[in-house]
Amino acid sequence: MPINDAVSHVGLSHYLILSAILFTLGLLGVLLRRNVIVILMSIELMLNAVNISFVAFSRYSPTGNNDGQAMVFFVMTIAAAEAAVGLALATTIFKKFREVNIRYFEHLKG
Amino acid sequence: MTMDSALFFFLAAVTIISALTVILQSNPIFCALALAMTMISVAGLFASMNAWFVAGVQLIVYAGAVMVLFVMVLMLFDLKDEVRAFSRGLVSGFLKIASVAVIGGVIAAAVWMSAETLFSSTANVAQMSGTASTKALADLLFKKYLFSFEAMGALLLIIAIGAVALSRIEGGTHAD
Repeated sequence: MPINDAVSHVGLSHYLILSAILFTLGLLGVLLRRNVIVILMSIELMLNAVNISFVAFSRYSPTGNNDGQAMVFFVMTIAAAEAAVGLALATTIFKKFREVNIRYFEHLKG
Repeated sequence: MTMDSALFFFLAAVTIISALTVILQSNPIFCALALAMTMISVAGLFASMNAWFVAGVQLIVYAGAVMVLFVMVLMLFDLKDEVRAFSRGLVSGFLKIASVAVIGGVIAAAVWMSAETLFSSTANVAQMSGTASTKALADLLFKKYLFSFEAMGALLLIIAIGAVALSRIEGGTHAD
């Protein structure tokens, strides 16, 4: 395809590529960072990437159904629940060790 | 370059730059601010796809509630710049970056190989107005996905109780 067309004409693949880049960045953050809270933020990034692809698919679907947008609501609910539980765990770990490094998670047993 | 594509590329650039800031910044509070910026630009992307209601919910739930939760916990901890923000180990770090590269390559290849069909797809011509699309979404949520919707409500209740119970367990600062 000509480059000119790809620049001037935004289509489904543009959103999908952006979603893939955002997901990969989130994955990188989860793997590389040691701070529990920043890891949770990276997970939020990954969930947002998925949301972008859901909305893009519903926008460019030939039948014009809105199911993708309904899915986004469920993903958002799960994300909020995950943030709440993850931050409660981070609070627990901070109370014990005065730090939120991921390596202290192994000591939480019992 | 039309107005639409200029808006898309601007929002995409803001999203990617702020996402990079989230994973590269060593001070967690700057990470949180960059994450808020990412959420806002993603809401702009939703609006550019005519998903107005989802964009509003994204702003309220993510940029509002979830970010307040993150920033509040960060202020509670009073974290300074981290000494070791990134995981150590040259070999394991290389392995992690390599595995992320493999995942990114797989996704890029999947998008690239389906590019023929993707690029030919055009936006829904018969776009509904903002209120009509919101009405259609409500129809979906409260008819087709009614059970899932109610299950989500139950899940949120369980999570609220669980978070309170989790933050009250023994061994915290109140115990000693």
